[in-house]
Amino acid sequence: MIRLKDISKWYSNGSAKAHILRHIDIEINEGEFVSIMGPSGSGKSTLLHLMGMIDDPSEGEYFFEGESVFTLKEKQRSELYKKHIGFVFQAYHLIDELTVYENIETPLLYHKISSAERKAMVADILDRFQIVGKKDLFPEQLSGGQQQLVGIARAVITKPKLILADEPTGNLNSKQGEEIMDLFTRLNKEEGVTIIQVTHSEKNASYGSRTINLLDGKIAL
Amino acid sequence: MLKNYFKTAWRNLLNNKLFSFINIMGLALGMTCSLLIMLWVKDELAMDKFHANDSRLYRVMENQFFSGAISTFPSTPGIFAENVVKDIPEIQMASQFLWEEEPLFTVNDTFDKEKGRYVQKDFLKMFSFKLTKGDVATALARPDAVVLSKKLADKYFKGQDPMGKMIRIDNRENVIVTGVLDEIPKSSSLKFDFLMSFDLWAKQNTWAKDWGNNGPRCYVMLAPNTSLEKVNAKLKGYIKSKNKGSNVEVFLQNYGESYLYSNWEDGKPNGGRIEYVRIFSVVAIVILLIACINFMNLATARSLKRSREIGVRKVVGASKRQLIGQFIGESLLVSFMAMGAALLIVLFILPSFNALTDKQLALNFGDASFWSTIILLTLLTGIISGSYPALFMSSLKPIVVLKGALKINPSAAFFRKALVVFQFSLSIILILGMIVVYRQIDFIHNKNLGFAREDLLFIPLEGELAKNFPTFKQELLKQPGIKNVTSASSSPLEVGSSTQGVTWPGKDTTKLILFSSNPISYDYINTMGIQLVNGRDFSNGYGTDTLNYLVNEAAARKIGYKDPVGKELTMWGDKGTIIGVMKDFHHNSLHVPIEPLILRLVKKDWGYGSFVIIRSEAGKTKQALASMEKMVKQFNPGFPFRYNFTDQEISKTYKTEFTVNKLSRYFAFLAIFISCLGLFGLVTFTAEQRTKEIGVRKVLGASVPGILAMLSKDFLRLVLIAIVIASPLAWWAMHKWLQDFAYRIDIGWSVFVIADFAAIAIAMLTVSFQAVKAARANPVKSLRTE
Ligand SMILES: Nc1ncnc2c1ncn2[C@@H]1O[C@H](COP(=O)(O)OP(=O)(O)OP(=O)(O)O)[C@@H](O)[C@H]1O
Ligand SMILES: [Mg+2]
Repeated sequence: MIRLKDISKWYSNGSAKAHILRHIDIEINEGEFVSIMGPSGSGKSTLLHLMGMIDDPSEGEYFFEGESVFTLKEKQRSELYKKHIGFVFQAYHLIDELTVYENIETPLLYHKISSAERKAMVADILDRFQIVGKKDLFPEQLSGGQQQLVGIARAVITKPKLILADEPTGNLNSKQGEEIMDLFTRLNKEEGVTIIQVTHSEKNASYGSRTINLLDGKIAL
Repeated sequence: MLKNYFKTAWRNLLNNKLFSFINIMGLALGMTCSLLIMLWVKDELAMDKFHANDSRLYRVMENQFFSGAISTFPSTPGIFAENVVKDIPEIQMASQFLWEEEPLFTVNDTFDKEKGRYVQKDFLKMFSFKLTKGDVATALARPDAVVLSKKLADKYFKGQDPMGKMIRIDNRENVIVTGVLDEIPKSSSLKFDFLMSFDLWAKQNTWAKDWGNNGPRCYVMLAPNTSLEKVNAKLKGYIKSKNKGSNVEVFLQNYGESYLYSNWEDGKPNGGRIEYVRIFSVVAIVILLIACINFMNLATARSLKRSREIGVRKVVGASKRQLIGQFIGESLLVSFMAMGAALLIVLFILPSFNALTDKQLALNFGDASFWSTIILLTLLTGIISGSYPALFMSSLKPIVVLKGALKINPSAAFFRKALVVFQFSLSIILILGMIVVYRQIDFIHNKNLGFAREDLLFIPLEGELAKNFPTFKQELLKQPGIKNVTSASSSPLEVGSSTQGVTWPGKDTTKLILFSSNPISYDYINTMGIQLVNGRDFSNGYGTDTLNYLVNEAAARKIGYKDPVGKELTMWGDKGTIIGVMKDFHHNSLHVPIEPLILRLVKKDWGYGSFVIIRSEAGKTKQALASMEKMVKQFNPGFPFRYNFTDQEISKTYKTEFTVNKLSRYFAFLAIFISCLGLFGLVTFTAEQRTKEIGVRKVLGASVPGILAMLSKDFLRLVLIAIVIASPLAWWAMHKWLQDFAYRIDIGWSVFVIADFAAIAIAMLTVSFQAVKAARANPVKSLRTE
């Protein structure tokens, strides 16, 4: 499903180049549940952004279901992304001006889903994440963990084929974390959703079928 | 989707009340100004266009050739119309049309002077002035016909049918009412309370029947599908064919256009009111643009704040198009709110605007075209102001904004600065324009006209007064408050008549030279307060003064005598002597240069002229008026007492300029206010952005003035650039405007100093208001909240 070929990324800092990722080759098949681990600053988020098509590498190729992503026009790329990928941010990134309900509903709007269907889907997700009571609150009225739940809900509601999650349980208590991992596992097993998560927790990583370790922008074997 | 956008937009407005207020208020003010000007322009453009035969109606214009120059007037010989319809078949109808006259109407015990026009029989068939009584085809057929306005019909024939009733005119003729006019449309520049037969007037004014004399206007109606060029070609030599040696040529100007295109130079149309229509249209666009720029500026500046939302929307699937749609939609929301506010403001200030512009403009809420214009204007404003922010924001890369690494994009910052410069340039041009207009008007107002315009009154010399003027003068001088009394053919405002009939020994007879002439009676120089540079005034003491002349300096130069006093001059065949030279004074408006002028005493058989001119004792105006009224009532019992103050009448001749003066002041104020509103928003935003930096700097020891300077410097630089750009443009525009005045101010450097200083001061005041607040904020507080 995903094939990264010789991906590198650096920032030029004056004359010096700061390498974030070096010569990364990864292949991930449909239906896999992959965890990415590594110390802080090792480039995990950057790698996930690349796979999510919201960042560009300095060098290398990326094939998504056989399509060469970086040669696509922006419009086609965002279509591809919209159709297949759900992204969970490390920093939640909710829209401040919208309520919980509206934040979760937003992707459905862009997927042109009818209003009756939207209602049903959002209600279902709110229920599943046990945040029905919070649906009319604004993000600033939520705790970090609650915001993270909303962020995850927003990513899964469009039923993407691939979920990219950047430390999805970082701000959750262990019980909530387990629930999210169970949810991911269920999506993975029952619906065949491919999941790639970044995590610092060995325990969470163990939910996955495979772990990729990053160290200084390189894959550590 | 729309609901989602609307909610975000609405909550954004609510969460940022200051910015929302600035945006909506700025746009609303800009729209108010555009709406007012649009109403005015629409009204101006519609003037005189309501006549059914509009495309076939023409005004006859006359080019007069004198010493190399062409002067163009709408005047013709009084027998032009009756002849031209016979001689040129393409001209279907024609009617002479006299200047406004004010004859005395008497019906039994009711009498008053009424304003109206003398026209010919086809006039009502050519123009679409409707009658409520009578028939347009026949109403003016008989030479003793009169058509009254409803007002006059009610005044003289209350409760009766006026048709067929008799009115005595000037205690001389009887006329019969043959029609009653319907209300004259507001969009008619011709206004009159009565129409009477031109022939009636011509009977008393036989000079008008001569091909060599020009005066009355003439309107013609062409046959359908006639080529104007062909008719003009036929008209070119027409007067010459009737009057050998004539130096005038006539041509036609479309009547509907004559209101806006009334100025002529070298025989070609050279603007007129159309210039104000153009100038104000540009002003409307400029002010709206300034307001739109505020919106663009604040929106792009604030895009930093909203960038996360944009990033998220992109990541959850929004396409660039959808985001553009969202932001344009937001600005449309704002522009519709602003339009609502603008319509309210317009409703509120329309009465004062009408008073200022002497119009009866109204918002026509029942009119579909009104609403479509409003909606179009709103959409246009929304799209213009939303376009740049929308394009800018929708092209932000999600990763950049989500990682919070979005710095002030240099190209966006440049664009924003360019917009501020543009905005301030426009404002400075308007301020400069305002100052120049103000100074020119002030100059006109206070210019030494060469005679004393204060305490100078004039009344028409009519009825019995015209016969008994010397006795009247004697008696009036005995009354309190009266200092001098004289009479003249022309009022102190304007010497209308001119002549080529002046000769002197050694004159180059190949040249046609035009002299203004004003036959007067004794004491004219004293009464007017004119200075003599040489010689003496006319005086009773010399019996022969009826053949003597006073000339002004301009005339003396034209004649070419080195020492004119005592030299020979012949006017209209009367050989006489120049007895004095007057210092040049303005006997016409300041729009035209001082022309050569010859004064001579009226001859016995001419009467004593048309006006009594009276100088009251300084500060005794009330007494003088009472004296005048008493004497006029006594000498002229059949006439109402009417009087004019010269200085007030002079002011009235500059009405358009006064209106422009006031309007330009309002518009300049509005422009700078809107610009400052935007600047205020930007500074607030910058200060907000740099709160943390300011806090850190203060902790490190920066002083309040230092931080103030840091925050203000950038904006000051922008205003300075605007000054550099605006100054030459403003100079050029105002230089052009001033060309309309023969006597005008110099646009000195002081104008620029004032305008530039004002712009800087206002901008700095605006900036420092916020900057001081930011600089004085407690650093600990600002750092803690970060
Ligand atoms: N705009 C940038 N310019 C320069 N360096 C950057 C930029 N963005 C990120 N980096 C660097 O890239 C490296 C990788 O960042 P990344 O966010 O991928 O790390 P991470 O592995 O996700 O760490 P964490 O576990 O703390 O989230 C970091 O060292 C960071 O300093
Ligand atoms: Mg990370």
